[in-house]
Amino acid sequence: MNLVEKILARASGRDSVQPGEIVIAGVDRLLMHDLSGYLTSEVYEKRVGRPIPHPERAVMVFDHHFSPPTERQAEILEANRAWARKHGITLMDCGSGNLHHAAVRGGHVKPGMIVVGSDSHTPVHGALGTLAVALGNDSHAGTVLPYGKAWFRVPETVRIELHGVPRPGTTARDIALWLVAQIGEGALNYRALEFAGPYVKQASFWDRWLFPLLTVDLGAKCGFVEPDEVTEAFVRTLPGGLDGELPHSDGAQDAATVLRYDVSEVPAQVACPPTVGNTRSVADAAGTRVGWAELGGHGGGRLEDIRAAAEVLDGRRVHPDTRLNIVPSSRQVFAEALAEGLVARLHEAGATWFPPSTGSNQAINMGAMAAGEAMICTHSRNFPGRNGSTDAAVYLASAATVAASAAAGEIAGAARPGAERSAA
Amino acid sequence: MTTAPETRVGGKTITFGDDVNTDVIIPGRYLVSIDPVELAEHAFEPLGPEVQKELKASRVVVAGRNFGCGSAREQAASCLTGAGVRAVVATSFSRVFFRNAINTGLVAVECPQAVDALAAAGGRGEMWVDYDQGTVETAGGTFGFAPYPQGLREILQDGGLIPHLMRSFAQEGTVR
Repeated sequence: MNLVEKILARASGRDSVQPGEIVIAGVDRLLMHDLSGYLTSEVYEKRVGRPIPHPERAVMVFDHHFSPPTERQAEILEANRAWARKHGITLMDCGSGNLHHAAVRGGHVKPGMIVVGSDSHTPVHGALGTLAVALGNDSHAGTVLPYGKAWFRVPETVRIELHGVPRPGTTARDIALWLVAQIGEGALNYRALEFAGPYVKQASFWDRWLFPLLTVDLGAKCGFVEPDEVTEAFVRTLPGGLDGELPHSDGAQDAATVLRYDVSEVPAQVACPPTVGNTRSVADAAGTRVGWAELGGHGGGRLEDIRAAAEVLDGRRVHPDTRLNIVPSSRQVFAEALAEGLVARLHEAGATWFPPSTGSNQAINMGAMAAGEAMICTHSRNFPGRNGSTDAAVYLASAATVAASAAAGEIAGAARPGAERSAA
Repeated sequence: MTTAPETRVGGKTITFGDDVNTDVIIPGRYLVSIDPVELAEHAFEPLGPEVQKELKASRVVVAGRNFGCGSAREQAASCLTGAGVRAVVATSFSRVFFRNAINTGLVAVECPQAVDALAAAGGRGEMWVDYDQGTVETAGGTFGFAPYPQGLREILQDGGLIPHLMRSFAQEGTVR
């Protein structure tokens, strides 16, 4: 059995499971953000209304609001606080960071767990060697909260092996965006994806994070990286450390399909509207005017991104017609950026720091655009209408490309080759 | 309730293409509601009032591959129910949309042959789904699809996951 099968077998009390079987498994963590959590609470209170036997397994992070801009939104947050208090659910309030980053940095996600959430990027937690799946609110309210369980179809696994050494100037995010286009959006519906091969093996934890993040774009149910010494070293830095043994797949022959890619010739990428898989090389997209640039979101706002932006902007300034927003993914990242002097450097280069949150994702408390405006960012979605007008454009790229574009006022590659390589 | 559950649903169709995402089906700014009727007012809003009007007059959404891709919002299914849609027939679904549809009591069927047959017949007309029999009827023929497992049929017959669970609670009389 591979990692996903082993976790499902353990959590459903079986010796083994086979792809295609439907199992009812115990859920270790339910992750909710301020909007999905509100819906789950409404459904739960109005339609289920029972005690929650394991409230400590549910975590809610306010990440779509670092501060509510309207009275209605303030009411939603107050209702969430009251609900969390009533049941003893763990709450991380405004300013904690992006849901997934805050949950990991808070020590709420550990290898071997089953993690569920309403956010479609929940599978990102496969980077720690978990089985992490997005479910809807009714699943949470109907089965996860009252019973601590959910049903799962055991997925067939596809191993995606990445080989080769990337060109200078090509980062993990460029390779991740490129991979979506290579494989095709929705092409791996229902599958479990294992990200493997020498390129993944040598990558830092936070660069590995960017691969399970894209499972939703490929249509997959979950994605994972086999836990190893990199995973272990990272988990030891989290609150509570490594509280069990690292789970492992039995062997190398447990994926139904293997897809192999050579990453050595991939140039820096930009995902253009309307979808994540609509990628072009930065060179092809260069020259498009952008009024907004942002580091933040599920995949961005990492310390690695902030370092890359500081390096690109060293000795340069943000273009007068462009605003560069920096949204740290967690309070810890902001503290680390402060300690490294990056906050002052980027401030002086003309960037604006925002509170730890999920930033402009869906423009709930920031990041709306009028028709004709454009943003280049490290976020995970670029569907038209997601940030205000359906005639505004969102381009997705690496932190280095975002910073270089902020300096140029238009989509541009990072000037110095190698400058955008993230530090391991 | 003594009437036999209705397992055959359908009527007038509205047709969409491939990769219809959840931001198109129900924009993020309306996600604070869980009322299907209120949500239905904003279903497919990005595509304009003509499409919205047609949606409300339709009973079956017909779409290409990867319908409902993007976010995991359950309202992408419930807003269609609120608009009077009884079934979605697509070439393929994003997995979480399929799960959300079943859980909210919306019949969702992957039947590429029926989608193609309707397109070949001009893209307009009626479509009927019988999820007990595992058939889709439309202009150009009747097509089979892999029948749902018993558990999913029971969820649909009870009108969704939560009504199903509540019914189970009531029958068991106890909750463990």
